[in-house]
Amino acid sequence: MRARDNPFRTEQVLRVRYRLALGTWDGLLDRLDALGRRAAIVGPQGSGKTTLLEDLAPRLRARGFTPRDLRLDTETPRFEPGALDRFFASLGPRDLILFDGAEQLGWLAWSRFERGSRAAAGLIITGHRPGRLPSLLETSTSPELLEGLIEEILGGRAPELRTRALFEKHGGNLREALRELYDRFAAAT
Amino acid sequence: MSRMHLELADGKTKYLPGETIEGVAFWELATTPEFLEVRLYWRTQGKGTVDLEIVRNLKFTQVGLQDRRPFRLEVPAAPYSVSGKLISIVWGVELVSEPEGEAANIDVVISPTGEEVRLDRTPAK
Repeated sequence: MRARDNPFRTEQVLRVRYRLALGTWDGLLDRLDALGRRAAIVGPQGSGKTTLLEDLAPRLRARGFTPRDLRLDTETPRFEPGALDRFFASLGPRDLILFDGAEQLGWLAWSRFERGSRAAAGLIITGHRPGRLPSLLETSTSPELLEGLIEEILGGRAPELRTRALFEKHGGNLREALRELYDRFAAAT
Repeated sequence: MSRMHLELADGKTKYLPGETIEGVAFWELATTPEFLEVRLYWRTQGKGTVDLEIVRNLKFTQVGLQDRRPFRLEVPAAPYSVSGKLISIVWGVELVSEPEGEAANIDVVISPTGEEVRLDRTPAK
């Protein structure tokens, strides 16, 4: 199968958006307000933290905020020298920082970051463990969620993919499970 | 409701490097755009990060809600349209209205043979 025909190619997977298990988006944003708009999305790898952060951005925009994205990961674990100073200097009173991968910062760097971010209207971070900011939402996964995502990607068709075994093999990491499905489809034809 | 449309000359969608893509861009928009742009670009599809590069662009300024403009874009030498199991490089011509970001797209093939290069097939012996 050609990569561009593979139903689990990256652009198709990225089209799948975050599914709130409980409550509503408005309820989540109200909770964010109640936390002083400084909060964390917490959950294991491949559980949708980044997707949720992305999906919050347009909803925050609709409430009059300007989302400002920051991202660190294992490939880029720190900011370039001076980048954060420039970022903080550019912050406006309606800016709301969405910081994916905040736990890449050590505690000292985090402490400096947290202080510098106070000029903004808010700060939402993602991380694998709670503790740096009050938890807004803890993301989690299940075999049923994986099955639902697969059905969405395949447009309702759900062939025998042994979803539960796939889920367990990847320890609940949906991103890795979907990558394996890419490989399976690539090899099958 | 907005409508945007691209038509390539003679309905052609396969090009050799160095050829020229000719066509007409049509639009009927709900709000007056700042400008529209026709772009020739390639993108990757597959398992990894999506890469994208705009190789040629042609900007239409002082445009109305409803209009049509011809365009010509020179096809570059590389990369070719290619597909394997892990990655495809897909070329496209896109019409975009700014700042709304509404778009129309036609995928095209660019290669020395006029056909997508296939890496997922064993060559005939």
